[in-house]
Order: sequence, then C-alpha cells, then structure tokens
Amino acid sequence: MTAGTMIGASLRRREDARVLRGETRYLDDIECPGTTHAAFVRSPYAHASIESISVPQAAPGLIAVVTAADLGDAVRPYPVMEPQGAEVRVSEAHPVLAAGEVRYAGQAVALVIAESRALAEDAAELVEVDYDPLPVVTSPRASDVELMRWQRRAGDVEAAFAAAAHVVTGSYALPRLVAAPMEPRGCVASYDATADLLTVWCSAQDTHRPLEHLAHILGRPESAIRVIVPDVGGAFGSKGVIAPEVAAVAAAALRLGIGVKWTEDRLENMLASSQGRGIEGELDLALDAEGRMLALRARLWSDLGGYLLTTTPLPPHTAATLIAGCYDIAVADVTVVGARTHKVPIGPYRGAGRPDAAYMLEALVDEAARQIGIDRVALRRRNLIRAFPHTTPTGLEYDSGDFERCLDLALELAATEPDKRHGPARDDVYVHGTGIAVYVERAGGAFESAAIELLEDGRFAIASSSSPHGQGHDITFAQIAADRLHVPIDAIELSFGDSATTPPGVGTFGSRSVAMAGSAVALAADELSEQARALAAEVGLDTAPALNWVALAQAADAPLRAQAQFRSANVFSSGAYAASVRIDRATGALTVERLVAVDDAGTLINPLLVHGQVLGGAVQALGECLSEEAVYDEDGQMRSGSFLEYGLLTAADIPPIVTGEVETPSPLNPLGAKGAGEGGAVGALPAVANAVTDALGGRYVAPPFTADKLWRALRAAP
Amino acid sequence: MKPAPFRYEAADSVEAALALLVHEDARPLAGGQSLVPMLNFRLARPELIVDLNPVRELAGLAVTADGALRIGAMTRQAALLRSPAVADGWPLLTEAVAHVGHSVTRNRGTVGGSVAQADPKAELGVALTALGARFHVRSGERGGRTLGAAELFAGPFTTALRDGELLVEIEVPPAPTGARMAFVEHARTHGDFAVAGVAVVHAAGGHVAIALLGAGAVPIRAEAAERALREGVDASEAARLAADGVPDDYRRALLQTLTERALARVTT
Repeated sequence: MTAGTMIGASLRRREDARVLRGETRYLDDIECPGTTHAAFVRSPYAHASIESISVPQAAPGLIAVVTAADLGDAVRPYPVMEPQGAEVRVSEAHPVLAAGEVRYAGQAVALVIAESRALAEDAAELVEVDYDPLPVVTSPRASDVELMRWQRRAGDVEAAFAAAAHVVTGSYALPRLVAAPMEPRGCVASYDATADLLTVWCSAQDTHRPLEHLAHILGRPESAIRVIVPDVGGAFGSKGVIAPEVAAVAAAALRLGIGVKWTEDRLENMLASSQGRGIEGELDLALDAEGRMLALRARLWSDLGGYLLTTTPLPPHTAATLIAGCYDIAVADVTVVGARTHKVPIGPYRGAGRPDAAYMLEALVDEAARQIGIDRVALRRRNLIRAFPHTTPTGLEYDSGDFERCLDLALELAATEPDKRHGPARDDVYVHGTGIAVYVERAGGAFESAAIELLEDGRFAIASSSSPHGQGHDITFAQIAADRLHVPIDAIELSFGDSATTPPGVGTFGSRSVAMAGSAVALAADELSEQARALAAEVGLDTAPALNWVALAQAADAPLRAQAQFRSANVFSSGAYAASVRIDRATGALTVERLVAVDDAGTLINPLLVHGQVLGGAVQALGECLSEEAVYDEDGQMRSGSFLEYGLLTAADIPPIVTGEVETPSPLNPLGAKGAGEGGAVGALPAVANAVTDALGGRYVAPPFTADKLWRALRAAP
Repeated sequence: MKPAPFRYEAADSVEAALALLVHEDARPLAGGQSLVPMLNFRLARPELIVDLNPVRELAGLAVTADGALRIGAMTRQAALLRSPAVADGWPLLTEAVAHVGHSVTRNRGTVGGSVAQADPKAELGVALTALGARFHVRSGERGGRTLGAAELFAGPFTTALRDGELLVEIEVPPAPTGARMAFVEHARTHGDFAVAGVAVVHAAGGHVAIALLGAGAVPIRAEAAERALREGVDASEAARLAADGVPDDYRRALLQTLTERALARVTT
C-alpha cells in the first residue's frame, strides 16, 4: 500500500489473526493474585418489597455477603443523563443493590463473594430474602409513572391537519430485545490501599464512561480509579453503562480490600443486562392532494423498566427526534413518554432509537401510499429532503446527504436479477412481498482525542480515546494516520483502553468512532507534521519529497509529541434498503429472499470494515424481524431467558445481502466521515417489515414476524 | 450457572454403570447436551452423576444378520448422521438427525441420550417411533426388558424407565423392501427444536407409518391416517386425519401441511 492512498483501502483488521488463534485476552482471562469470585442473589419477583434479608454466617469457601445495608452511603445511585429538553426523574436512578424494594425479576439484591464462582453460587442459595410481592406493571401504556418525557411542537399543527387532503394513521410496536454479546458482562476489581487506587478491569465499550460512573457512584475522584478495558467480545450498546453488579463488586473490593471477579453467565445477561427497543407509537400524517407531507403527529411510549440507568432516557429521545426521517416536513407535534414498568431497564442497543423511528415512519409512509393510491417510491421521492443543512421540526440539523441517490441505487440493485437459489416462485404455495425504506441516523457528536508520538525508529505510537470491541479501530485509525503522515501502514501502532494512558474522550457508541476519534487522529497527525516541518527547517533536513521521519526522530532532543481533540455537532448518515420476502401460505413461515442495503456513511476510510458493519447490523435487524423477542408474562417474569427460547438467528438463516455505497462527505470533520455502525440495524428493519405488510396485503403485524402470527394474519387478510 | 455439588463416578462397563445407578438419586451422563445445562441452571440436582462416556460397549452402530439396525445408546448423533448403512437402509434417521441441534452438539450428543431425555420437541424419538424401533433397557437388579416407543415415551421429559434402569440399545427393524421415508419439520430458526414435525415411512403393499412431533407431549402415531391411507384415501385427506384433534388451530394446520408434504415425497 503506497503512502498517501490509504483512505478508501479495504484492509483487514490487524487483530484478526490474534482473535482467530484464541490469543485474545477477555475479561475472564484476567487473573489477579488472590482473586475471589462473585455471584449475586437476584430477585425472583418483578415487583416486591424486601422485608428482611438473612445471610449465612458461614458456608464452604464463603468470604462475604454484601447487601445494600452493608454498603450504606458508600454508594450512590446511578448518574442519569438528561437529553436536551427532556424532563427526567433522576430520583428514579438504578440503585447498586436493591434497598427495600425490587423492581424487576433478576435485580441484584445481595453480592456473595467466595473462593470460587461455584462456591459463591452455593452460598447464594443460603441467603434468605423475605419478599412481599407488589402489583406488577408490564405495559408502558398501563403505567402511571413517567420517568421521562420529551415533547416538541413546530408550526401550526392543527391548521395543517385541518387543511390536509389525507390524514393517515398508524399504531406500531417493537418488542424488547436482548443485546446478546458473545462475551457477557464482567469485571475484576482490585484495591491497592497503599496507593489508594481502585483498579477495575471491565468488559466495556470504553474506559471513560465506566470511570465517570464509578467515580460518581463510589464518590471517589477519577484520579483514584483506573479502568482497563481488555479485549471485548461484543457489546452492541449494552456495555456503555457499567452494570450495577460492577459497581457492587467495585464497592466490595474497596470495602474488603480484596480482588473480586464477576463474570456473569448467560442467564444473568438475559435477565439483568439492559435491553433494547420496547416502544409503541401512534402516528398521524397529514398530506395534501398531491401527496406532499404537511405535518406529522407522533405519540411514543417507551417501556423504560424499573429504574433509570445512565443512558436509559436516550433511545426514546433519539427515536422521537428522528421521527420525521428523510422527509421535508416542517410541522410536527411529537411526544415521547418513558414509562416505568417492572422489567430490567432499557438502554442503547444497536440503533438505540434510530430503528424505532425509521420503522414507525416508514410503515406509516407505506400506509399513506396504499390509502392515497400513490406509488410508495413516488410518495417518498416527492417528500425527500434535498437541501442541506436541513433543520428538522424536532430540532436536529442534518449536515449533508443525498437521500434520493440512496433510493435510486437501492431500486437499481433490487431490480437486478432476483436470487434463484430458492427455486421459482410458486404462488399457490407462497405469498410474496417487497419493501423499500429510507432512513437517516444521528451519528458522531461531542468529542474525542488522540495523542501521537514519533518513536526513535521513525514509527508512530498513537493513543486513541476511543476503544474497540470488534469494529476495527486499529486498522482504520492507522489508515488515517498513515495517510496524513505519508508513511506505510506498519509504521503506525495504536493503543486503547486504559484510563491511565488514554487521552480524554467519551466512548464507542452511536456510529461515532471514525468521525470523532478518527478525526482526532487526523488532527494529531497534522500537528505532528507541523512540528516535524519546523524541526526539519531548524536542523536543515530536506522535506521533499517527504519528511524523513527516522532522521527527524534522531534529530529531536525530546520525542516529538502531539495531542489533539476533535469536537463537532452530530453528523447524519442515511440510506435506503429494499427487501423481498415470501410467506408460506400453509405454515406462515417467512423467508427473507433478498436484502438490498445502500448506506451513505460519508467518506469511507475502510470499505471492507464498513461492509462488515452493514452486514452485522442488518443481520441483527433480521433477527428482530424473524424471531427475536424478550418475552415477559403478566407477572413480569422473563420467558425467554436462554437461547432455547430467545430466537437468535444462525448463519443458515441469513439471506443474500447486496450492498451499495453512496459517499456524501460530512462538512463537519476533516475526513468527511459519518458513521456506519448502525445503518444496517436501522434500514433493514423497516424494509423487511414493509415487505411483510406488502405480502399480507396491507395488514399490519408487529415484529417478530413469527410463523404463527403470519399464518393467522393471512387467514384474516381481506 | 454452576451446578450444585454432586458426586461424580465414571463407569467403564454397563455392569459398573448399573451398579452405580442403584443409588437412589443418580443420573447417567451421556453426551451432556441437555443434562449439563440442566445441572448448570440447578434444575437438575442429582447426588450422583454416572458418566457413561467411558463405556465402549454402549457406542456403535451395527446391522445384524436379520437386517435390523442396532444403535448403541452412546452412539453420537454425528455418527448416525454420517453412517452410510443408516443412509442406505433408514434414511429417515439420517434426515431427522440432521435437524438435531448443530454439528458441534451432534458431535457430543448421543442417540440414547436424546431418546431418554424425551423432549417432546426432539426429532429422533419421532423418527424412531415411525420406524417401529424397540428400546432395550437393563437394570442391575431386574435384568433386561424391551419397550416399544408407545411404552417408552410416557410424557414430556418422562420415560417409562424405572429407577436404576438404563437404556442400552435401540433396535430398528429392517424397512420393508422399497420403503420410502421422509422427515419434515418447522422450526423457528435453523437447528432449533421443532415446533411441529412429521416422520413418514411408506412402502408398496400397505406399509404406512406416520409419527407426529408437536401433536402431544410424546411422539404420536397417526393411526387413523395410516389406516385411511391403507384403505386408499389421498395424501391430503390422510394429512387432515393425522392432524385432526390437535387443539391449537395453527398447530393443527401446521401438522396437516407438514404431513401432506411428507406424504407427497413418499407417495408420488
């Protein structure tokens, strides 16, 4: 690879060989001398008061049992984010351990520490908790406790609806989903009393937020805590906020002065890790006689769960702000209510509100096309935003985009020869449907930073504030740095994930790493080049045709170093997806025959990794369409607590996916980059859902589109 | 997800296993694909685990002189799937076992373990029911006995095996000359347990067997449908009869469709 041509090169991740050989070091591989092991006593009830807790005085290998009473005011409830303009009941923050009340089945009530995890589980069975069950609320519409509310009105909504030739209405719902990372959550906490330093190895999306949350919860300065993020086996949004269990383990390690490890099992992850989606909505769209969209009304109810974790209010807020999607609608009235229910709190899960908005709006637009009798593509085309920057009625500013080109490309790819591997269509056996959807998603925002140093051998060490868990930060950021510095890719080394050495930042989430942390790398590299040119002039080194970095490294009195921070407003990725499906008339079984994914993530640094992100996101959306659902019964008991019940897709269930790219650079960062982490999860859901509704002749069924539901819908179809 | 404490004994012969299984709270461990998760969930808490994996005499497939297939209870599902003799003589088993879990679970999971677990959503019990398999069990105290599928499968996750009894071998009679077989199921995702399924065996001269998965708590022979087919009704009417009486309307429709599709494969 020639220097200076690295942007747009499809290079493989440099960690792949290490990952494939099993040389990675995940949380459970961390061993500290004398480490003890944690298990949790969890509530069997979705809602109950705790009358008393009786702990065993002794048990084989038992070291300690810790309850909320033991922690007392050594811990504070979670810090809670308040999205701009939202009313948030921060007093409903998640406690570290349950005190007096439990609000979801699986909530941690007591921490049991023993010489091994097995002994800790044995001792946990000896903890007796006296519960008094209380009424359970499982539906957000049935809840009378609002934990969060956000509303926004723009323009004269009543007048727009009164003047409309058509008003189209829809009611939609998405179930809760679990993130199901291959590696569940966990931590190792160790306290060094001499240095008064708490070290927490944590399976997390970054170091910054665990550090901030722990400092808040434990009431310690950030300088007295070190967070190390080892290799992470997936997160999908669920490891952005530290688990209450991690806070409990850290507090216990501090209190007892010992090392404690907690690596959760799959059941704990299913019951107690934050879940995604869980939203219902009622939307009304006003259109004129030509199908121009005049105004949108949306009322959303989010099933937030029993408490607020730090980012629990964010997904519903994101859904509400993106509800106008790709369309030029000036007038809107949008309200989202985050209701308290007796379930584990929701939190970000790949898309985090973006798929929710795209799903509801795109279903409504198809409904409008059916009712008015306009072609669904023509209706979209008539209303797409074409001028940027564009301010939405919900207050977002879209930086750039070419929504129509995404739509055109998706239609073009969908029109090519259909996949024949399933054999010819037999309409006596199957009903067929096609779907199209466009989306726009909020990416980037806030800030990240990078520190770069020229090493003695002329190579470069970069510490990034962002932290990877599968995305491929290392090669992508190396490409950016190599491109700016005009050096081979192998001259760049990246480091991540240790709060002791990581420059300031926010974290890896919301499709933001390249636009924010990648831009910080570019700025740091540029600043280092400036320094190098100044030094070259000073010591008389040639700068043409390129800087001689080895000579510069030797000429410098002290290592050349630069650190840069990059901050920008949000950037907006977009795309268009198309799906074709068939439903077996006799069994109701849904087959997604083909998915077309067109994404505009701005300038692409590494198209191979972007392609991987699109496929991964799309497959998660397919799971959401076909089989995934966190099922709760009326008592608030989760009925899908293992992979026997929770329908994760397997590779054999994945249809052919055709991808296409549009590159509209963002004007807001030096790379022109946007974000690609969530597009697949956002776009595939409405495209497949619209194809299913199309196959059902316009009849609406909520995901997942299980065979029994579709069979019944086909029976009921007009 | 760590098991409650238990005692572990490895048996190296059927005799040794039977002697250990006399213990009143013992569970035999075969491939462990169901038992180990149940132990980890603490849903099963036996005092004693008797590991059958070292018992070599329990593993293996053989075709006897009279043409029957003998499947040692500890035969891995993967071995059943790969066996040319099984594919040749009892292709129903090859087809059914391909639906059981995934290749990694089939490498470990055993045929006898699947049968003895008696999961009402499991494929192998249904296929063996259609093939008229006989199940040989032994006990240290009472000797041996042989059960048919209707006797063996007593309810969901329940067999007629008594305390101390061990399933040692499954004997599948030779299929009638020219018999055709099909296994068809509907599962939510690939490798998942089936929601509904059907195993059919059909041969000229009136041999018909239809066994249903998902019609009840155990594998069920659709005897009315078999009889009607022998008397000359068409596949679609036989399928309707097979599913008749299944309470849930979707499940009934599903079983009817799957049966019709399976019969279409063996009768046309």
